[in-house]
Amino acid sequence: MDSITTAASVVAAGLAVGLGAIGPGIGQGSAAQGAVEGIARQPEAEGKIRGTLLLSFAFMESLTIYGLVVALVLLFANPFAG
Amino acid sequence: MASETVENCSSHDPLLDIDSSDSSSGVKSDEYLELQFRVFRLAFLLTIFSVGIAGFFWGIQAGASLFIGALSGIFYFRLLARGIGRLGTSSKIVGKVQLLVPVLLVLVSSRFPQLDLIPALLGFLLYKPALIIQFLSMP
Repeated sequence: MDSITTAASVVAAGLAVGLGAIGPGIGQGSAAQGAVEGIARQPEAEGKIRGTLLLSFAFMESLTIYGLVVALVLLFANPFAG
Repeated sequence: MASETVENCSSHDPLLDIDSSDSSSGVKSDEYLELQFRVFRLAFLLTIFSVGIAGFFWGIQAGASLFIGALSGIFYFRLLARGIGRLGTSSKIVGKVQLLVPVLLVLVSSRFPQLDLIPALLGFLLYKPALIIQFLSMP
């Protein structure tokens, strides 16, 4: 792998993780805030709120995982490496 | 005087009554555990089905990679569920330890030639169809 490909892969991996974590991070923060507020207001609905939070977190965090996987593939199993 | 006011409020307002919220916490955690159990059961069923199909059509290696990826996905989901279960009680944030699972999966897949990367990643994402099915079947 030549140096330009290596440099581009490292930059792309950093961008994939960094940009891919912004949106899910904001979404998870606001979802957790709403869930904790909801549990504080309605403790009897804690099970349902936690279940919905779990499902929404799993879907949101999968976006982070996509970026993470792309970055790791670029770093450790680069398809552009000659 | 102020303590009497607080005692009166806590005895009449169900939202401020700590005893009533504690008495129903077992039911709440049971509901949450039941949801986790349903998702795990669906994910295991999907894993068995997918591993069988992958092993039949693409060989043992693809099936084994898919199986390891699916186990990693279930372990990731377990860690995520544990982090959310602690939220608000013993922790103020949801931990990010579960993100180490896909990292380790990709690293192990790239180091060992016995594991294929694409089937392992597809297996890791098998918890999502289980979640979608569970989400659609929720009342």
